[in-house]
Amino acid sequence: MRASAIMFMALLYLVAGVPARAAPASPPPPLQAEQLSVQKLPPASAHWVYVFDEAFFNEIDARIHLFDGDSYQRLGQIDAGFAPGVNLSPDGTTTVVATTYFARGSRGTRTDVVEFTDNRTLHVTHEIVLPAKRAETIPSLFNVAYSADGHFVYAAYITPAASFGVLDPEHGTVLGEIDTAGCQLVIPSGPNRVSSLCESGRLLTVTLDAQGHEAGRAMSEPFFDTDRDPVFAQGIRSANGYAFISFLGEVHEVDLSGAQPRFAAPWSLVSPAERGVWRPGGVQVGALQRALGRLYVPMHKGGEGSHKEGGTEIWVFDLGTHRRLARWPVAPLGLAPLVAVQVSQDEAPVLFAASTAADVAVLDARSGRLRHTEKHLGQTPWMLLN
Amino acid sequence: MRSLDRMFEQSSRLLAQRTSRRSLLGALGQLLSGAALLPLLPLARGGRAAAAAARPDVNNPQSCDYWRYCAIDGFLCACCGGSTTSCPPGTVPSPITWIGTCHNPADDRHYMVSYNDCCGKTSCGHCDCNRNEREKPTYRPSRNNDLNWCLANGDDSNYHCSVSVILGVVPPGS
Repeated sequence: MRASAIMFMALLYLVAGVPARAAPASPPPPLQAEQLSVQKLPPASAHWVYVFDEAFFNEIDARIHLFDGDSYQRLGQIDAGFAPGVNLSPDGTTTVVATTYFARGSRGTRTDVVEFTDNRTLHVTHEIVLPAKRAETIPSLFNVAYSADGHFVYAAYITPAASFGVLDPEHGTVLGEIDTAGCQLVIPSGPNRVSSLCESGRLLTVTLDAQGHEAGRAMSEPFFDTDRDPVFAQGIRSANGYAFISFLGEVHEVDLSGAQPRFAAPWSLVSPAERGVWRPGGVQVGALQRALGRLYVPMHKGGEGSHKEGGTEIWVFDLGTHRRLARWPVAPLGLAPLVAVQVSQDEAPVLFAASTAADVAVLDARSGRLRHTEKHLGQTPWMLLN
Repeated sequence: MRSLDRMFEQSSRLLAQRTSRRSLLGALGQLLSGAALLPLLPLARGGRAAAAAARPDVNNPQSCDYWRYCAIDGFLCACCGGSTTSCPPGTVPSPITWIGTCHNPADDRHYMVSYNDCCGKTSCGHCDCNRNEREKPTYRPSRNNDLNWCLANGDDSNYHCSVSVILGVVPPGS
């Protein structure tokens, strides 16, 4: 067989003749001298996602990766220091980062600061130095947050006594600090209200005056059982407030459009047979496409204490009927369990999902079809903003 | 066990609501006196290494399966130059803590465990371990392992690793 193949090649060589040496081609024109420049961002897109990377294995170096869910390109980076809180301004043009720096990198004088980045250039435009009591905790949308009109920024403090700072982002000043003993985090509503989750399962709501000082406060009745079935601190923004998901899969919808919060009757993500077997889990445990009324939740099979395990499936619910519309297993998509989900709010929505393998997937939010997986988008991507 | 957890939780909650931070820390210190000299707990984390399911290594302090790590969240100091009860050289223990309750299969007892953080250096980066038995969200700080419990250490509030110090046996039936 081998001998015949050699004979065939030899014959072919004789018939075809020795290949003529290629005539020397004229050299291509020289490359032109180039100008070094700084890339400009394209116009903002509804399919951009800001990927919060805690960089847990070298935690003083957290960052936010700006990623395009259409071109699948990294567009840039916002630095975020140590155990930061991150959020976007209501108009999406600014990223606010509440973080901590040590004077000599990992040690030295501690400075807590809120930094503002222009999302059109990714330049830090200004900062506000905080008292050294900023909440250093797992990422949520409630560690630092804007008022609905963008005039205030609220920064959660935990020392571990709880309070929050009221900031004026336009003038770069701290307007004051408001004590919230027993209640934590800053859940913004309207132009001048801040709610906090309490150890008692209540919601404390503080109303501010035009100067950012406390004008009044109200404590709700308990709306969940913090001992038997606590809600994740990561709320999901809804049309009039937020939805909070409990460890066992209860959905508590809170309307924050009035001076007092209103609580809808809770409903369940799981059937009685699934309760305690299938659970929501991860860090960012849900996303809501408000126009479609679809809620996306990473779910896994697990027991007590598994509430930080990633979802092996995405469950899709109709927020109006509470009906489960779909279950999307993620292993067939080549994805590790999911710790964070986010969905765009445009008419062709995409669902973003971050996995325990630090991959970020882009899916069609209507069908669940996988459009793209970006491998290793950071070290520990734990929250997605859009 | 559950009631004991609850007791500590209620104590710290009342203190947090009624006292200043300084007196809160002092009172917690009294509650925990005789135990770990300084308690403290881990930082933010989620969706990372949990105990292996297959052959749990419940007696290895460098394994996330070690029984007393049932609610730890962070890098194991035993892998970072320290031990289950000592911080690595050059780090600073954190003066506040949160308490877990873990079952020791060797003697079938439940133990109260304080999860102190060791602070003042950047992340150890070894033996990341995230277990959450009876752990609750951050708005219940006495039972939460997401907070950087180095936060009260001033300029030494950088998080390095976490230890797991036995405080005592939980009386049966409690």
